Amino acid sequence: MITAERKPLPEIKESITPYKKVLIVGCGTCVAECASGGEKEVALLASALRMDAKKEGRDVEVHEITLDRQCVYEFIDQLADLVDQYEVVLSLGCGAGVQAVAEVFPKIHVIPALNTTFIAQTKEAGVWIENCRGCGDCRLDQFADVCPITRCAKSLFNGPCGGSKGGYCEVDPETPCAWHLIVTRLEESGRLQKLTPLYPPADWSKKEGKGPRKIVREDQRH
Amino acid sequence: MSGASIGRPFFPRVMTTKQRAPHFAIFFCQQLDPNQDVNRRALEKELGSRIRFFPLPCSGRIEALHLMRALEAGADKVYLVTCPVGACRYREGNIRAKKRVEFAQKLIQEIGLEPERFELVNASLPGPFSVDAMARELINKAGGLAPSPLNVKKPKEAAHNTP
Repeated sequence: MITAERKPLPEIKESITPYKKVLIVGCGTCVAECASGGEKEVALLASALRMDAKKEGRDVEVHEITLDRQCVYEFIDQLADLVDQYEVVLSLGCGAGVQAVAEVFPKIHVIPALNTTFIAQTKEAGVWIENCRGCGDCRLDQFADVCPITRCAKSLFNGPCGGSKGGYCEVDPETPCAWHLIVTRLEESGRLQKLTPLYPPADWSKKEGKGPRKIVREDQRH
Repeated sequence: MSGASIGRPFFPRVMTTKQRAPHFAIFFCQQLDPNQDVNRRALEKELGSRIRFFPLPCSGRIEALHLMRALEAGADKVYLVTCPVGACRYREGNIRAKKRVEFAQKLIQEIGLEPERFELVNASLPGPFSVDAMARELINKAGGLAPSPLNVKKPKEAAHNTP
């Protein structure tokens, strides 16, 4: 999933300062899972902004809606009859959601209230860890399903750096060494020969250098 | 009841005659008082809109949003009364409740409100416990609680409402 964290309230407040009618739009998918942009977080932010306005004697109308997915037109459509009643949309979606809403409603100001961070796994309740960079050239099978690009602080492809201590990274002692995990898992499953070949550098042209990436599936198109 | 957090002067005890009496919202674990439904009626009748009780099946069911909404709806002080640490019927409910209250306190601090507007109180057991007695004690200890800035009429608003 895509993770995000809410921006500090003063920053959000400043961004909506000129407006009197605010619609907060949440997203019920990734950012709901990481407790930053789902229905609950939308309600919390709306409540905080209403109370803040009341405390300062400002007249601001703040309303809430959470879409199932903020990055898909079919769901954004739910805003069609609503959005004209507001001066600004405060999005609690990831960057993709913010841009999708802005594209559908070009005349309305859409402001992000989240900082989109990374692609993550829910490690345990309340803990999310980055484990995929979206490099476009997945080689997890060769590395015991542990991504050395993402989970090794140095993104090493051909073995450990030698700086780990007790199976933990020298850059961040709380993070398990990716190469320690790779070697241990391959050993335990009798697949250590996977590490015999030398792996060439990743093909970064699949991720960067050509502008935004696009996937087209003709069988899925109208 | 643990007195650790009750009775501490958290607000200036100054109240002018024009200030409204403080309003309280009390969320509580209903495992504490099996007769809570009956026990709280007299106090509710006595104080009317100044007090609102919200029984929870376990204090761990509290969400920051419950506390925020209570404050937004006009409470000057919101309490969450939990079972003593280690005595939760569901093991971790009151531990989770503490984290939620702390989270909500940070949220209101961001908008310049005192975190003490939300307070977690660990009841002490064993012994007879009734939610109305607990509530009376909390209200008495809150004393001349200053009104929440949300409930103070701004000059324009006050002038508008003056006959």
